[in-house]
Amino acid sequence: MAVILVVEDDMMICMVAEMMMQDWGHETLSASDEEEALKFLRSPQPIDAMFTDIYLKDAVLGGCSLAHQAIALRPHLKVLYTTGNFLTDNMKALFVDGAQCLGKPYSQTQLHNSVVEMLAT
Amino acid sequence: MPEPEIAVADIVETVPSALIILDQNLIVQSANRAFYQTFHTSALQTEGFLIFSLGNRQWDIPALRNLLESVIPHRAAVEGFEVEHDFPTIGQRTMLVNARKTMRGGGHDGYILLAIEDVSEERKARKESKRNWQLTQSIVDTIRDPMVVLEDDMTIVTASKAFLTIFGITQAEVQGRRLSELLQQQWDVPALRHLMEKVLPENKPIENFEIEDVFPALGRRVFNLSARKVFQPGNHAHRMLLVFEDITDRKRRERDAIALTNEISHRIKNNLQIIVGLIAYETRWTAPACVQGYQAMQTRIGAISQLYDLISQSSCGRTIAVNAYLTEIAKNLSTSLLGSASSITIEVRAEPLEIDPERAVPFGLLVNELATNAIKHAFPDGAGKVVLSVVQAGSDLELCVSDNGIGIKDKDAASKKASETRGSDYVAIFVRQLGGAIAPSLVEITGTTVRVLFPLRLTPSGGAEPVAA
Repeated sequence: MAVILVVEDDMMICMVAEMMMQDWGHETLSASDEEEALKFLRSPQPIDAMFTDIYLKDAVLGGCSLAHQAIALRPHLKVLYTTGNFLTDNMKALFVDGAQCLGKPYSQTQLHNSVVEMLAT
Repeated sequence: MPEPEIAVADIVETVPSALIILDQNLIVQSANRAFYQTFHTSALQTEGFLIFSLGNRQWDIPALRNLLESVIPHRAAVEGFEVEHDFPTIGQRTMLVNARKTMRGGGHDGYILLAIEDVSEERKARKESKRNWQLTQSIVDTIRDPMVVLEDDMTIVTASKAFLTIFGITQAEVQGRRLSELLQQQWDVPALRHLMEKVLPENKPIENFEIEDVFPALGRRVFNLSARKVFQPGNHAHRMLLVFEDITDRKRRERDAIALTNEISHRIKNNLQIIVGLIAYETRWTAPACVQGYQAMQTRIGAISQLYDLISQSSCGRTIAVNAYLTEIAKNLSTSLLGSASSITIEVRAEPLEIDPERAVPFGLLVNELATNAIKHAFPDGAGKVVLSVVQAGSDLELCVSDNGIGIKDKDAASKKASETRGSDYVAIFVRQLGGAIAPSLVEITGTTVRVLFPLRLTPSGGAEPVAA
């Protein structure tokens, strides 16, 4: 089982995502923006993966920027993005290597499959 | 040495210009055929006469008299002497006169050779060209959009007042220079250069080439460039008219509209995520038999949510591309019901048609319902294919959801499970919303096919008119 950092500015969505992941046996941490997420990432706290929204508060591509900083801090971190926006090629070009994106709204099955695929990479 | 009279006559006859030979008293000694033809006269009426008396004194032209009486006596040759005169026989003419004086022995004057070239047409064309150019310049200056006229070597011949005013540059600074050299070389764009090089040789206009940059004193601007060859019958000039349309405000409005659409889409999808999440939360305490119902509800929400991406991509959110919509629904079904390891595949075969957003919701839900039924019931061994297809059939649109599964063996509705009956109810509702009907089933060898026909209120992709709701 993994430790997954969930970065989502909508508290309800964040809680439900964490709840699903905990149901599958994972441990979760949560942050609502880049700053909070980076505090975890800079800490000695073990983190295996990060599930981050792309649009974080006022930062339209905040999740993309966060993922690059996260990989710089933790090169082996697995990353899965999510977004409520239409995913453009420009956005995909900003993804860290090997990362996928799960569009909103996602069901528990879709999140489960995406998390399994992320952790398997 | 004897005078070379025969040789002179030979030369005179072979020269295409009108030639006339005068003695020192300005008496015509000889003239060539070109002279007689040009001035509608003959040797009999010409030779032996004072030049000024020819043709009822039509050659008594003050400028010519001045040349022959005042200039020639002091100079051996005069070239390019232009005489404009209204000849009674041939009308208004412009003549270019070259005069050469031959000297006789002892330094005495000999003959005067006059070569007279009729340049009337050339001068007329030059004047016409000048008038046209002045007219063009006037038109160029009255048009509000900045524009420049370019030579075939891409140097600027002239720029309109609007161009000079907007870009804060003078005519002297642009003339003779290439567009790519102006300002801070904002126009030095390889793609534009490539297109411009084709305008003149291939007569290939440039339409709507957008350039966005920061311009001195203007700030960030977006210009729409159009170019075409300047054409005038009989005019072989190779010039190009390049027009700059400032579309900054329009682009800003378009971007604002897209940003607003994306923002709304983002918020709606976040709200749908909350609903889907709450449903997921409910399933934790729900009896396993009911979980399927909750999951079906999640996929229905997923099918509707795909619309928002497609609306934000469509032009002004007015129509939805059916093939793109079906593809997104298929993806949603695959990830929510099948997973990457499944041996059931979903294939989309759709013509490039568009549907209005209002009907897109029941359309998407209908496809979702039929495809979900196929996935759940057609493949007990867990392998097979579902095909979603949309074609235009005359005045109707035909949606087919087919599978290569076990087919419907028990047609007795009473034996159906409650969930299947509910699925059929939904199908009936969505078909009614679309104003369509379920078509009679064809005899099938394998699998099941459901055909639904809708009245054609769809437009082909690229159609000019949006569909009214």
